[in-house]
Amino acid sequence: MTQLMNENGIRCDGRKVDQLRNVSIKVGILKNADGSAYIEFGQNKILAGVFGPRDVHPKHMANQDRGILRCRYHMSPFSVTERKNPAPSRREIEISKVIKEALQPAVLLKDFPRTVIDVFIEVLQADGGSRCAALDAASIALADAGIPMRDLVSACAAGKVADQIVLDVNNEEDQEGQADMPIAIMPNLGKVTLMQLDGILTPAEYKTCLQTAIGGCKQIYEIQRKALMEKYFGNGGQ
Amino acid sequence: MEVKRRYVIPGDVIITGPFRPEQNVYQDGDKIVSTSVGISEIYENTVRVIPLCGIYMPKTNDLVIGKVIGHSSLSWEFDINSCFVGFLPAQDVFGRDYSPTKDELKERLDVGDLVAARVANFDRSRDPLLTVQDRDLGKIESGELIEIAPSKVPRLIGKRGSMIQTIEMATKAMITIGQNGWVVVSSDDPVGLLKAIEAVKMVDAQAHLPNLTERVKSMLGVELGENNDTINE
Amino acid sequence: MMADSVIVEQLKRDRILELLKQGKRLDGRRLEEQRPLYIETGVIPKANGSARVRLGDTEVVTGVKIQPDKPFPDLGDKGILICTAEILPLADPNAEPGPPTEEVIELARVVDRGIRETEMIDLHQLVLVENKSVIGFFIDSSIIDADGNLFDACSYASVAALLSCTVPKYEIKDEVPALVEGVNSKPPVKTIPVSVTMARIGEHIIVDPTADEEACMNARITITTNSEGNICALQKGGSDGFTVDQLIKCSEIALAVGPKIRKQLEQLM
Repeated sequence: MTQLMNENGIRCDGRKVDQLRNVSIKVGILKNADGSAYIEFGQNKILAGVFGPRDVHPKHMANQDRGILRCRYHMSPFSVTERKNPAPSRREIEISKVIKEALQPAVLLKDFPRTVIDVFIEVLQADGGSRCAALDAASIALADAGIPMRDLVSACAAGKVADQIVLDVNNEEDQEGQADMPIAIMPNLGKVTLMQLDGILTPAEYKTCLQTAIGGCKQIYEIQRKALMEKYFGNGGQ
Repeated sequence: MEVKRRYVIPGDVIITGPFRPEQNVYQDGDKIVSTSVGISEIYENTVRVIPLCGIYMPKTNDLVIGKVIGHSSLSWEFDINSCFVGFLPAQDVFGRDYSPTKDELKERLDVGDLVAARVANFDRSRDPLLTVQDRDLGKIESGELIEIAPSKVPRLIGKRGSMIQTIEMATKAMITIGQNGWVVVSSDDPVGLLKAIEAVKMVDAQAHLPNLTERVKSMLGVELGENNDTINE
Repeated sequence: MMADSVIVEQLKRDRILELLKQGKRLDGRRLEEQRPLYIETGVIPKANGSARVRLGDTEVVTGVKIQPDKPFPDLGDKGILICTAEILPLADPNAEPGPPTEEVIELARVVDRGIRETEMIDLHQLVLVENKSVIGFFIDSSIIDADGNLFDACSYASVAALLSCTVPKYEIKDEVPALVEGVNSKPPVKTIPVSVTMARIGEHIIVDPTADEEACMNARITITTNSEGNICALQKGGSDGFTVDQLIKCSEIALAVGPKIRKQLEQLM
């Protein structure tokens, strides 16, 4: 069992309790997708591609008043320590749903009745917090595709490790820690659109964990904004 | 009057106060917020964003280039680079009194044909209706199709057609620009054709950067005169 | 792959045919020329081996996972090697998520045969306990951008990932395979298979078709050769056929084009 935190409050990967892993985002890296983004979040390597708005098949799934959002979160067989069967697992299906519901409030679906916006996420390498990293990439891919949005969606997790609230839980901390709370917000509107909790927290810890995660989301937002600005406006972007 | 511009991403508050929201923004209380990646413009009391990406949203009277993807005995279906499929009714081509068979439709326009058409009618409750009843509309017999971002089309046309005229005169090519971002370039002169294609792609890549007109003219080998370089309507 | 749902406009089809008569293609290539091939290995550090391949605008990421496994019945003296391929829905607007289509299944099986049947890896060296416990090599390709010739792109990525992988050591402890930390070896490679895919458009044979060319083609053939200059796997596809002369010509093209790719792959060992 890994020692998750040493006497100086340093975590198993060398980080301090309030330190985010390294995050980098590349925008518009795929040729066929309408919008795309690639994110490296710690050891996570995740690709997001967006198509749409486009025609819905089968036709009976179309909504007459608004567009629909579809989301597929999938892990490549080589993305995890023990090779994973390519068929979607129940975990992937659940994550697909919560990611879709995290993006829905941000997308202006009323503008595109009878169409669908497809968000496809592929985890090429997983390392704890992949659903948050996936959301961060998906939100940029939507903006890259020109889908009108009320706000970006920024996601990050906080958790409890060695009795301390920490920011951005990695794989070992997720497996052997005491709690994991992934969160996503629309940063300018201040609305939380994804939230889950795995583990046990006192009411006070819950509040701290929530604030910590939101602080992480805001840091992610700055990285997302920079990535979009650089892609579209070069170094002249403000 | 001065136009205030800024680079924005979705969620950015452009301004607060009694302004009228126009394209690609929405109102949240008294804040006007961008919905797209693009350049925000505040002009008098209106606010809008010119997006740098995004699909084509049909508008009545738009000229579009469409590709036939199917037909029944009543109409042809077109890919017009939008989430909506364009429909051209058979009677638009055959007249009201004639009921053509499916084969007769196929003979006029078959799957894979490119057509210049106008959007006759579009409201979001139904797919856009097209028409080819006009002198310059109909099947495109020759030329090369280039796809540019629909948001760059105004830049390719230029103020009162200045950009497109510059390219056509310098290359002797004929360029048909669809508002949906599909552009057909045709010419008998292969060198002129390649230069025209390059110019169109250059505008697509650099539409949001300043001094584009100078750079296009320079690439085409045209004399640089005075020309206003604005990100236009 | 999704040739039926890609409608290439007639003007472009006409140009493709016109250019072929002059021995040229839309992107300026000669008929027997492949697009530039970029290979990067080690892109998924957590996997035992990995590669990212770009062939024109087609892009594939392949990972190799090596784990202990049970041998196939009747093949107790050989390790396991399985290749899969998936066209990710983000790769192609016409690809839909859901159970694999017949095109995708064919792609995966052709890539699999192209590596396993060519005996690229000496499976006899992957046995821990005969008939009970062997090493399994799982080579999975995820296609992330599709612009034609997915067969060759997946094949090159799979071979590259295999050539550059590190094989962990297992030993039997209490009748069960256990990982020996810190001891790695190179994979037992016997030969380097190289696949070359060609398409027939009219009476012209072109190498490494783009998606537009595939939408116009009459038939397609993938031929895999090995380091010894032999032909070791083949698949014909598409709704039309080849003459015998064309089949012979295709085999000659595959043997001529293969060595350059093989040289590029050999550098990864």
